Amino acid sequence: MSDTLAVGATGTSTTQAPLLKVDDLTVGFRTDAGTVKAVTDVSFEIRPGEVLAVVGESGSGKSVTALALMRLHPRNTDITGDVVFDGIDLLELTDAQMRSIRGRDIAMIFQDPMTALNPVFTVGEQIAEAIRIHNDVSKKAAWSRAVDLLQLVGVPEPKRRASQHPHEYSGGMRQRAMIAMAISNDPKLLIADEPTTALDVTVQAQVMEVLHDVQEATGSAMMLITHDLGLVAGSADRVQVMYASRLMETGDLDDIFYESANPYTRALLESIPDLEGVKDTLEPIPGNPPSLLNPPAGCAFRPRCFLAAAECAEQVPGLVTVEGHHASRCLRISEMPAPVEVRS
Amino acid sequence: MSSEIDTDTHDGSERLGTEVPVFSSGEVEGYSADGAAHYSSSAEVEGLTEAPSSFGRLAWKRFLHHKLALAGAIGLMLIIALFIFGPQLSDYTFDQRNVRDRLLGPSWDHPFGTDEIGRDLFVRTAQGGRYSLRIGLVAALMSTIIGTLLGALAAYFGRWIDIAISQLINIVLIVPALIVLSIFALYFGRDAFRLSIVLALLLWTRIARVVRGVVLSIKEQEYIMAARAAGASHLRIIFRHVLPNVVGPVAVEVTLLLGTVIVLESTLSFLGLGVQPPNASLGTLVAEAKGNIDNDPIRVLTPGFFIVFIVLCVNFLGDGLRDALDPRSKNEKG
Repeated sequence: MSDTLAVGATGTSTTQAPLLKVDDLTVGFRTDAGTVKAVTDVSFEIRPGEVLAVVGESGSGKSVTALALMRLHPRNTDITGDVVFDGIDLLELTDAQMRSIRGRDIAMIFQDPMTALNPVFTVGEQIAEAIRIHNDVSKKAAWSRAVDLLQLVGVPEPKRRASQHPHEYSGGMRQRAMIAMAISNDPKLLIADEPTTALDVTVQAQVMEVLHDVQEATGSAMMLITHDLGLVAGSADRVQVMYASRLMETGDLDDIFYESANPYTRALLESIPDLEGVKDTLEPIPGNPPSLLNPPAGCAFRPRCFLAAAECAEQVPGLVTVEGHHASRCLRISEMPAPVEVRS
Repeated sequence: MSSEIDTDTHDGSERLGTEVPVFSSGEVEGYSADGAAHYSSSAEVEGLTEAPSSFGRLAWKRFLHHKLALAGAIGLMLIIALFIFGPQLSDYTFDQRNVRDRLLGPSWDHPFGTDEIGRDLFVRTAQGGRYSLRIGLVAALMSTIIGTLLGALAAYFGRWIDIAISQLINIVLIVPALIVLSIFALYFGRDAFRLSIVLALLLWTRIARVVRGVVLSIKEQEYIMAARAAGASHLRIIFRHVLPNVVGPVAVEVTLLLGTVIVLESTLSFLGLGVQPPNASLGTLVAEAKGNIDNDPIRVLTPGFFIVFIVLCVNFLGDGLRDALDPRSKNEKG
């Protein structure tokens, strides 16, 4: 894992124009009980070839952010802000124009490979279909390419496996097939939404390695959505931490892991189990994430924060630059204790 | 295990950089030319182009293992063969009267006997059976097409489309089928095709409700979202991803419907509203025989037996089709 980290740190040159630039993205769901803001004023960039990890608890808005980028959100959704991909504002496109971008320029890998493949078609057919949606090639050529892609993602005996149905695949193999499908049109941006959450721990590392290899080989950028900081450490160039619909902290991998300037990030890092036995017990973050229907006044993390003070309840803190492109949303950065050494 | 996979992975990543042509928007043609040149040399790959049809072969295999369904299919084929070729073996036609031979019992000459005016009942049963089957098949097919499309549209798009179609279903459901059919049959009774249309317009709601229910659950599946994320259009998703998953439940419903249609047509004909003499259907044959049921119960039972037998065969067939068309059932039976 540790040497893949070094290899992964490519493409972080600040001079390149961003592939994806998101400004003040806000996503609200209209419900009977009122509007739920699942994403609030989120701004970020992804540069070509870069791996951006989006980390947060369930319900923090990370998946909704990804779905909004793809315009795959449900109907009862209000989206404001700008999403500029490769010079095009995605939120301005017609449905047909958006379809031609999905799967070709931006591809997505879903969380649960058990349900993300259609049970009535063979895996090869499904990959071939993904190719044929965007390319005018024969069924035979698409099938050959599907077999190649399966080999590429490490499915053994790809010729035979291509003509099998999803239920004949194990979880790890299915996720490899999903990756094959996602890269079938050589996308510029891969969005991986918790790609290993549904897999056994032993398989997780293999799948991450495959993902990392194809991402590097195709040179595509990747937005890796996860709640697993271990995965982040192994594969991301930059990290942004989300909590209760807002970005809490964003920065390079090392900024977040070694010089975190945000109590929520610190708490997340503290809650990683320590296999080397320095910590005796797990340290969960006390309490629960707030309701997004009625978010607490001030900082959303205040009720669970070890640094909380009276001023935190007064207003939502802004995202403050710490150094370079390391920024944190906290009023009490100056009070933050010195970073502890965190195993990565 | 893990080391094997690691090697595969590394092989793969090298391959991507060097050999495997990667699509880019302008080079699609170049790719397909490359691909063809690269793969046509391998004889093994030739076989692979057939692989997508393997689902059909698997389904066929599963179907053959379903004893009852196989029996249903064979029974149905035998009946259809009997209805089509049987009359050619007989010396009589369905409307040929022979008053001297009236009300005969079964014999080699008249396997099912004769009726009050000496018509051969075997030929009449075959003719009536063809009529009943034709109405059943046409009406069931049309109901399936209407019901599947409307049901899928309602569930997939939801909102006002769903409300409109669901209300339409409710309206059609409260229409008393027999009365409407009676009125129509008075005017269209002689025309099997128009009768089929009316039956279809009354019976599609059952299919639509089943399809709507199934599609409502399918559209929440992640593979539908994955297909959208791959850039598939709504039409493509409905026809490629949603409807194939509906085939199993619909197959069962269609066979039940086919039975319903045959029984309903027999009812109409029994009431004198269906096929008009001298033509016959299985229903009119029962109706014609009912007056003499005390002396000659066999004459009622023969067409009655065919109605029951056809409906049973079709239901067994539907049961087998459902199992055969579900790829996940493979491991359970053969």
